Amino acid sequence: MERDSSLLDDYVLSLTDAARPRVCFIPTASGDADHYVVRFYRRFSPDCEASHVSLFRRDQGTGGVEDDLATHLLAQDLIYVGGGNVVSMLGAWRAYGLDEILRTAWRKGVVLCGPSAGSLCWFDEALSAFHGAPRSVRGLGLLPYSNCVHYDAEPERRAEYHRFVGDGMREGFAAEDGVALHFRRTRLKHVVSSRPNACAYRVEHTGDGVVETPLKVSYLGAEPAMGDTEEPASEPSAASSPRSRRRTPRRPNVPRATARPAGPAPIPA
Amino acid sequence: MNARLVAPIEDRLIFAMGGGGFTMEPNNPLLDDFVLGLAHAKPGARAKEPRVLFLPTASGDTTAQINAFQARFADRMCSPAHLSLFRLRDAKRPLAEIVLDQDIIYVGGGSMRNLLALWQAHGLDRLLVQAWRAGTVLAGLSAGAMCWFQGGVSRSSGPPEALAGLGLLEGSLTVHTDGEPERLPVWLASVREGILPGGWAVDDGVGLLFRGQLLARVVSSRPGAGGQRVDQVAGELVRHRLEPELLGADRDGALGGFDEDVQELRRVNRLRRGMFGEGR
Repeated sequence: MERDSSLLDDYVLSLTDAARPRVCFIPTASGDADHYVVRFYRRFSPDCEASHVSLFRRDQGTGGVEDDLATHLLAQDLIYVGGGNVVSMLGAWRAYGLDEILRTAWRKGVVLCGPSAGSLCWFDEALSAFHGAPRSVRGLGLLPYSNCVHYDAEPERRAEYHRFVGDGMREGFAAEDGVALHFRRTRLKHVVSSRPNACAYRVEHTGDGVVETPLKVSYLGAEPAMGDTEEPASEPSAASSPRSRRRTPRRPNVPRATARPAGPAPIPA
Repeated sequence: MNARLVAPIEDRLIFAMGGGGFTMEPNNPLLDDFVLGLAHAKPGARAKEPRVLFLPTASGDTTAQINAFQARFADRMCSPAHLSLFRLRDAKRPLAEIVLDQDIIYVGGGSMRNLLALWQAHGLDRLLVQAWRAGTVLAGLSAGAMCWFQGGVSRSSGPPEALAGLGLLEGSLTVHTDGEPERLPVWLASVREGILPGGWAVDDGVGLLFRGQLLARVVSSRPGAGGQRVDQVAGELVRHRLEPELLGADRDGALGGFDEDVQELRRVNRLRRGMFGEGR
């Protein structure tokens, strides 16, 4: 739900097979902020069966879904988790058993997505720098990696993530704003972006320290990336397109020559 | 207030309101002034201008609650601040430093389940216990009142249900007895069945002041509001009526013509709750 672009939203919708997907928004990480809920409906209600789950307004009849949460969520094609404070979100989810419901939904094949806290939560570990010193936060663990978001937003973020991975945090993925990591089961299938030059990285702990490998990012916008034929995000084939790129050399688990030693590094243009 | 010090048990104050204060009574400051008075009465240089920290956690940190807090306390003899767990980025100091440096911690209403879950996730539950031991006044309404007891009745998931609290105070509490009549039967049944320990049921506008574990005072911002103490004895409920002291009654005419407005407000609130669920 970027303000100026629907590219990532269109992409994730294309991952569902439904003509009119059932999409449920979970804005817990924002404290169920009204403006965020409104933004969701503006973006998704024209083409989707849109709903939302509020854990804070349930007692006031404005909590969106009033039925049994599990039944509702398991019937969705897409569950969209909003950004905000990941620690608050996971704490509230646990109190309602939402963490278990989301695990079940994932196993059932519901597409799960979200920015920021809505990304961190799916991983085994996440670097949260929401308040004070950065810390490791345990997510739902659907993806056996760590995750770091807003990688380009704050200059110290990269060094912090490298330090954590060096100190024993799980290896994982870092994404700049506008970049989405698309996993199928637990494997990275595709990295897409709503911004032409945004990057994502695989960050690993090798014998030589922490190594960061840029991932191949497909820009979803109108201009095709260099030497790459990109389908528009709205094409249903976008979901299956990664198959044709299987032989691309930059597999996420293979550090390339671009690998750098640990430490702050400039963001490639 | 130095959190490393341990206050004598009688100096550990909790003020639990069944409803009322700045979020529910924008035109009636009696309960909020009473809360400030609890800190003013304490010895020490900061007593004149106590630090008041508002926790809007149970509401999801709504701007409406935070604005209402500022509107009420900004001009009073105190130094007000709020702590939003959803916008921690704005907090410049570590949580422990913020929480343990207060004279009053005032907890807003909303979802009791979310309140406790979020506190736990951020480790705030432990810090609040620490603050209470050190003598910080803990105050709150609705979810922010029930949280201090062993249990309460929450509508966090829709229908009222018994829920465990932090357990600083022995017994259980149910709130909005007059404003949300559907809570009381659930609480009484829970007490009768032993799901919740005996405790107190209070109307909107009624506050219970505890010194340590002892109920020291029952006060009210509204004429006619009341409460009761209920215990289960051999499977039967034993009920005792509470007679609150009406705050501000000693001020001449302080409540003249006010009573009717309060009654009107409560009628409207009841109607709105009937339609939309819980109001604030």
